[in-house]
Amino acid sequence: MSFAQPNLMPSFRRPPSRVAIVRSSRYDLDLGALMLQALQEFNLPVKGMKVLLKPNFVEPDPEGVINTHPAVVGAARETFLRLGAASVLVAEGPGHERDTEAILETIRLRDFLGPLAKVFVDLNLDEVRATDLRTRASKLKQLYLPRTVLEADFIVSLPKLKSHHWVGATLSLKNMFGIVPGCCYGWPKNVLHWAGITPSILDINSTVRPDFAIVDGIIGMEGNGPIQGSPKASGVLIMGDDPVAVDATCARVMGLEPARIDYLAKAGVLLGHLDPEKIRHLGESEASVKTSFAVLPEFKKLVAGNDK
Amino acid sequence: MIDLAGCRDFLITNQNADGGWGFHPDSPCAVEPTAWAVLALVSRPFGPLQVEACARASNWLLRAQRSDGSWPPFPGHPLGCWVTSVASGALLLQGGAESAVERGLRWVVNSWPAEGTLWWRLRQAVFPSRLARQDSALRGWNWTPGTASWVEPTAQTLIFIGTLPPTLLSAQAVKRRNLGEHMLLDRMCPDGGWNSGNPLIYGVAGVPRIGPTAWALLALRAHSHRPEIQASLAWLERAYGTIRGGASLAVAHRCLAAFGLRVPPLAPALEKLYAPNSFFQNVLTMAWVTLALSEEAARLAQCEGSASA
Repeated sequence: MSFAQPNLMPSFRRPPSRVAIVRSSRYDLDLGALMLQALQEFNLPVKGMKVLLKPNFVEPDPEGVINTHPAVVGAARETFLRLGAASVLVAEGPGHERDTEAILETIRLRDFLGPLAKVFVDLNLDEVRATDLRTRASKLKQLYLPRTVLEADFIVSLPKLKSHHWVGATLSLKNMFGIVPGCCYGWPKNVLHWAGITPSILDINSTVRPDFAIVDGIIGMEGNGPIQGSPKASGVLIMGDDPVAVDATCARVMGLEPARIDYLAKAGVLLGHLDPEKIRHLGESEASVKTSFAVLPEFKKLVAGNDK
Repeated sequence: MIDLAGCRDFLITNQNADGGWGFHPDSPCAVEPTAWAVLALVSRPFGPLQVEACARASNWLLRAQRSDGSWPPFPGHPLGCWVTSVASGALLLQGGAESAVERGLRWVVNSWPAEGTLWWRLRQAVFPSRLARQDSALRGWNWTPGTASWVEPTAQTLIFIGTLPPTLLSAQAVKRRNLGEHMLLDRMCPDGGWNSGNPLIYGVAGVPRIGPTAWALLALRAHSHRPEIQASLAWLERAYGTIRGGASLAVAHRCLAAFGLRVPPLAPALEKLYAPNSFFQNVLTMAWVTLALSEEAARLAQCEGSASA
């Protein structure tokens, strides 16, 4: 793998990150054009590279609330091809559902990507390699990871903007749980929960840090996410070259204080920037698109301005 | 075209040289697709190609078994896991490997999930979680060692135990079977059906899914009179028409038919689902589809036999 930014670097040494907020109220707009315009400002080094898009596909959900919307995945694929990528694969290992094809067909991914056989990889059933984790936040030390992920040149995390009943919010860092293969760890990948969600997020992202993140916040999920929450029309795509900075920006847009989200606070030490001073914003400002997400009572303490 | 002969041919053609199957053609062998391919191919009519394929696969499975009796997900992986019950079941059905099956069974009945220990229950009593509602004393089986019980591995282990001859059915196996059945009933969604194993999250009823529901029902066939089973069957019947994946359709069809419910012919429905992606050439899906088609063929043959008698 080659990375646009190093995986691990103390925040004070890491160069400023860039995050763009793009408004889009509907999925049937020309998302490819919006994304291309935004991504051109990043000048990403993807020419000739094998790009891997990692969406968040969890369960068959025809309503389009749980999973990254296929229109966003299709637009991202088209954009990276137009930026000169040699290939753009879409890869996911759903956490609960063994029948990945049932998810893809329910959300009609084919309508946006064309025939899937050569474009989509089920990471739950991919060939795996034992991979030493680059940090020891959890007790895991090593995970079997899919070859397709390990051989990608440029990884893009493509999550949905959602609340989460264990960790407060699930965004581009948490989305990387999906690279852990079910064929080794089951459905759900319960070993990650037992090793601790926060430490597992840190270890996975220190080892396979996404080079870029694009968060589908056109319709997000609030309340009892990531599966049973309610749709929340936020009307934004949030993207950037630092998954921590992107997630911190998403949290602020959701009305949450990123430093109070445990895994995000810890990721801000070595994996990217949490501090808004170190994040260069392109496009819309956070304040102009802020739309407070309802949270479960357990997570009231995460709400910005709530000091109780 | 999707038919029984074509599916068997797919499996036989894509068996690796060493006797196992990977999750896809030409991928490294893994225990789960190999075991399911055997279960799918050991069915009538049992032609010479099937006989040879199953014999080679059984040898591969025997070589892959760990010294503690378990099977790892693939050779070289350091831990036994949920695939042990499927591998043991495949060898039991194939025959001729009683010792390996017995060792597999022993590992299975001595393999406990991480939740439900005295310390765990004490902690739950002192710090009750609002997140999930479950009786942690009811312990089934986990996907991997050191983790919690979940619906699918528990159901598949119960199905394996249900196939054991009385000579192998130890008292410990019976005890674990009873506990596992109670665990499944405890984890059922409030209105019937199962998801991975969280029936209530923050008091909100979990949404059932096809796979876990069908596997749990197959594991609880002996309790078909219970209202929970009837409610779950009713959910699966209602959901059947919404299925969009071959693996889900195959296991749901097997389940409904096993309970004697009328299900539409399988091949035309599979054909529609196969057309867009060829099931991604997924060996596990093809094995489940083969199994469902062969069971359907056996039922039809039985019906024709009784009609002509």
